[in-house]
Amino acid sequence: MKVSLTLNGEPRQIEVEPYRSLLDMLRNEAGLTGTKKGCDVGDCGACTVLVDGKPLNSCLMLGVEAQGCEVLTIEGIQPAPDRLHPLQESFMRLGGAQCGFCTPGMIMMALALLEENPHPTEDEIRFGIAGNICRCTGYTRIVEAIQACVKK
Amino acid sequence: MSEFSVIGGSVARPDMPGKVTGRAQYAGDLALPGMLHAKTKRSTVAHARIKRIDASRARAYPGVKAVLTHLDVPRVLHYGSPHPRSASCTKDQYILDSKVRYWGESVAVVAAVSEEIAEEALDLIEVEYEELPAALSVEQALASGAPRIHDLRADNLVVDPVTVRRGDVEKGFAEADLVIEGTYRMGRPTPAYMEPNVCVSQWSEGRLTMWISTQTPFMVRGILAEVLGLPLTKVRVLVDHMGGGFGAKQDLFQSEFLCALLAQQTGRPVRMEYTRKETFLGGRSRHPGTVWLKQGFRKDGTLTARQARVVFNSGAYGSHAPGVTAVGTAALTSLYRCENVLLEGQAVYTNTPIAGAYRGYGVVQTYYALDIQMDEAAGRTFSQPAELKLKNAVREGDLAPSAHPIVGHGLESCIRRGMQEVDWPRKKAPSTGGIRRGWGMGCEMHGSSAYPGIKEQGNATVRMNDDGTAQLFTGATGLGTGAHTALAQIVAEEMGLRFEDVSVVAGDTDVVPWDIGAFASHTTYMGGRAAQMAAAEVKKQMLVIAAEALEAAAADLEVRQGVISVKGSDRRLSVRDAVLPKKGLPTAQLIASATYTPTKSYSFAAHFVEVQVDTETGQIDVLQVVPVHELGKVIHPVAAAGQIEGGIQQGIGHTLTEDYITDPVTGRSLNAGFVDYKMPLSMDMPPIRTIMLETAPDPGGPYGAKGVGEDPIIAIGPAIANAVYDAIGVRFRHYPITPEDVLNGLRAKRA
Amino acid sequence: MRRFEYFEPATLGEAAALLERYQGRAQPLAGGTDLLVELKEQLRRADCVVNLKRIPGIGGLSFDARAGLRIGALATAREVETSPFVLQHYASLAQAARELGSIQVRNRATIIGNICRASPSADTLPPLIADGAQATIHGAAGERRVALETFFTGPGRTVLQPGELVTELLVPAPGPRTGKVYIKHGRRKAMELATVGVAVTLSDTQVRIVLGAVAPTPIRAALAERLLAGKKPDAALLERAAQAAADESRPISNVRASAEYRREMVRVLTRRALERALEAVR
Repeated sequence: MKVSLTLNGEPRQIEVEPYRSLLDMLRNEAGLTGTKKGCDVGDCGACTVLVDGKPLNSCLMLGVEAQGCEVLTIEGIQPAPDRLHPLQESFMRLGGAQCGFCTPGMIMMALALLEENPHPTEDEIRFGIAGNICRCTGYTRIVEAIQACVKK
Repeated sequence: MSEFSVIGGSVARPDMPGKVTGRAQYAGDLALPGMLHAKTKRSTVAHARIKRIDASRARAYPGVKAVLTHLDVPRVLHYGSPHPRSASCTKDQYILDSKVRYWGESVAVVAAVSEEIAEEALDLIEVEYEELPAALSVEQALASGAPRIHDLRADNLVVDPVTVRRGDVEKGFAEADLVIEGTYRMGRPTPAYMEPNVCVSQWSEGRLTMWISTQTPFMVRGILAEVLGLPLTKVRVLVDHMGGGFGAKQDLFQSEFLCALLAQQTGRPVRMEYTRKETFLGGRSRHPGTVWLKQGFRKDGTLTARQARVVFNSGAYGSHAPGVTAVGTAALTSLYRCENVLLEGQAVYTNTPIAGAYRGYGVVQTYYALDIQMDEAAGRTFSQPAELKLKNAVREGDLAPSAHPIVGHGLESCIRRGMQEVDWPRKKAPSTGGIRRGWGMGCEMHGSSAYPGIKEQGNATVRMNDDGTAQLFTGATGLGTGAHTALAQIVAEEMGLRFEDVSVVAGDTDVVPWDIGAFASHTTYMGGRAAQMAAAEVKKQMLVIAAEALEAAAADLEVRQGVISVKGSDRRLSVRDAVLPKKGLPTAQLIASATYTPTKSYSFAAHFVEVQVDTETGQIDVLQVVPVHELGKVIHPVAAAGQIEGGIQQGIGHTLTEDYITDPVTGRSLNAGFVDYKMPLSMDMPPIRTIMLETAPDPGGPYGAKGVGEDPIIAIGPAIANAVYDAIGVRFRHYPITPEDVLNGLRAKRA
Repeated sequence: MRRFEYFEPATLGEAAALLERYQGRAQPLAGGTDLLVELKEQLRRADCVVNLKRIPGIGGLSFDARAGLRIGALATAREVETSPFVLQHYASLAQAARELGSIQVRNRATIIGNICRASPSADTLPPLIADGAQATIHGAAGERRVALETFFTGPGRTVLQPGELVTELLVPAPGPRTGKVYIKHGRRKAMELATVGVAVTLSDTQVRIVLGAVAPTPIRAALAERLLAGKKPDAALLERAAQAAADESRPISNVRASAEYRREMVRVLTRRALERALEAVR
């Protein structure tokens, strides 16, 4: 089936089988491997992308369901090729990433969180990323990295 | 100006930009033209002979390119835990066997043009099992008449038991005023790294290239070559970014051979990626087990004797059982000093999932018992836990488990600093409506390096380029801890370069020096020292050239941040200008290699933890953790703290919510997934106030640096258990401590 | 996943016809957060998947002070969790929705999908039953309404016949001074499947207590309700009612918790839910 969507700001037409998840479509047919597969069943959040502005697990959506949607992945959040998003900067600087496997999904979730609530408390941050598993950091520095991007 | 110009600072990690942009490549991101996808069929019985296996329908399925069963693969026993030069390994696995020894073991693999077709083809493979009685627990495996799990051992022991003796325990117990004994039971946590195991194989002109997520690329290369009958020049293993390992990606999992054989048979690249469920079924967990521990104390609290029997459940194969048993058992000679010690350790085969190497390596289990029992003794000797532990804490000159003398007073400094930070002992907090709070402390020590079980060596090659930048070639793998950054910092510091002038070449067995692998908390200590030694040699070579240019003696030159200066004068020259090729002269070849064979250094930690217990639901929450770690020299503060905080997450999980369970009757895995294997999430994790000390640097490490990766996961468990005791007066001697355990414990206390 | 055929019907009739034709080998797809997981874990097989999201008229989430709440078939848990009128008038439902999975899951999972999956531990079921919700079911023979309390027939089983689809839930408007509480018991603070769920809807005139995860379907704690009917609740009465609720529950033991523990949690959490509901009404 042919899927027409806007992917990271660009209109794309992607040929994909209906039984492929959005995650697999992004990683295989669309060649964007930044979004990771940690569990494939919606338990870990590593595959989080934004669809029409909403963060969701791309492993729990079929690629064909993205027809007509705006999809944003980790590859699409830099404001310019030579500039990083503030969340990417803060994650790097403050130890929000170690092995990096949960990082794309975590940053996408943080992005959506700050979009909806520009001044979250620490509790609200932890509530927001409750569906993103990190096995390396203990979450302390992830929370700090997100807090660093809260607009004063 | 700080004494150091590069180490001790949290420099920008070169691996970070790729990770936050999604551009970093992990083995599963690789797509090769014509690549096939491999899936594994797994057994649905815990112990059986395969009477018949018929893959003909699967082979005939459109889109399937190859199927392998035990009938199609070389029948070669290989080391599952690949440290062939060590005492810590077992050779008890075939690539695929005519027998299955646990529920979920691989019985066949399929390579097909898509994952969906490979999965569908698995259903077409017919397997007839002749079920055998299964030993699903250590007790069952050791009972008389128990089923024999491996042909080589009638007693179901993985190796002969380990005994460690110091002094005279009989005499020690005779001198004791107080004797305490208890049995401590450990459940089965698993590492649950976020990146499932994955490998990609491709053959070309008889050469095999494997991209893989592994901590031990040279082990993978060596054992692949041995089993496939290839010279090492024809096997190349590549590791780029890894999504965590925590020790458990040290083994060979059968998938490596099967992936390589499928690629060989089909003539196409093959990717084999575990599902999350398979990381449980086919991965490695921590060793469950029991520790019986008995200690004698004088009235004044000093230890007189310690006796212990450690029994680990190895699961269906040996993997790291010998090493884990040896290290975990020997650890009990130390931490709290005792002259008279008798320790016995053994590991038992059972028809359950395989236990292997996992951060802490046997010491998580034995120190859980030891530290909790010290707390118990504190109650009975009328001294405060911290006092009793300080009194008995190992110190400079005491023999470490490796039989080397300990350097410095690291443990004492951790305890004292922690007591200061949390104002210990804490006044009892008021309880409201059934909610009780308590504080506890737990201590540990852990060695950097797998010595003496493995005679390790760190190798490094440093090369200075003709523009004054330098490259470090290291076989050390990058699990994601920031190890490569630390190694580069050490090279830059040693040579007087700026951090950004040093790059690291790693991850290609064709290019980098041999390395045993990234584990045992030894990368900074061992790999770092080797890097430092090689860097020092290249620096010497560089200074010879610079001395000539500056018309000074090499001994009078200093290098800092890429600038060479002559002591006591204002003559200076950039490193770049010193080594830049000059017209008419051959370019200098500045390169050196170094090998470091360490013994061992020990890092220390004391964790102070506050918990809250809801006495109506039994729920335990960790409210705050103050971990105090002594690491000799902190190379990269953010990376080091990250190791501590991450280890605490895993340790909180081990102690309260994580347990990989199999059905006691069928051996079936009951929670091979993240719904029912419960790791602490963002809302479950407490604030952590990390404190790092440099009070006991080890001259054997680069700038005195020691390891840190495993220490946090060892100290946090007993700290929590002891805090729960402080909160509700119930002593738990096992993990995980569930809400049901709490309610049962409170009920028993009231009775 | 195994391969399947895929359809995007444009009307309810088309969808129903597809489901009936494939007789249990077709699976309807709304949020997909249960379906895709179960297909991947091979707990369900699908020869075809029928995406309901292109069908007009079955979405929406609306409230009317007289008629109450209408939850369309495509309304997500996240919409319900964040809806001002749900937060104000159906606090227990909002709380239940908020504790379902993660935000990522809730952005896709539908309330009606939660209903139709009929897991005994599903979070939204107890509050909806406590509030007297009704399901509107569309089938070949037309439309019918079923009280949610009688909708579930066993674990994962409902009164739905092949070819039938739930198109909406209707929840009556709350009376004045009504306290609504949902308490979920889980080992962690998020991403849990409830080991026990307790929903209490309480007003001056009536109290309804619904228990989840302690029987093959959600159950009313009818004896507990009778104990409280028409009486002024003091601490002793609440404790007795909570004990009655525990006695009425029929939990099983599994990897998440033992039956004894679950029964004990029914007692503790029913008491706490009643206390909080009374507090809300005060």
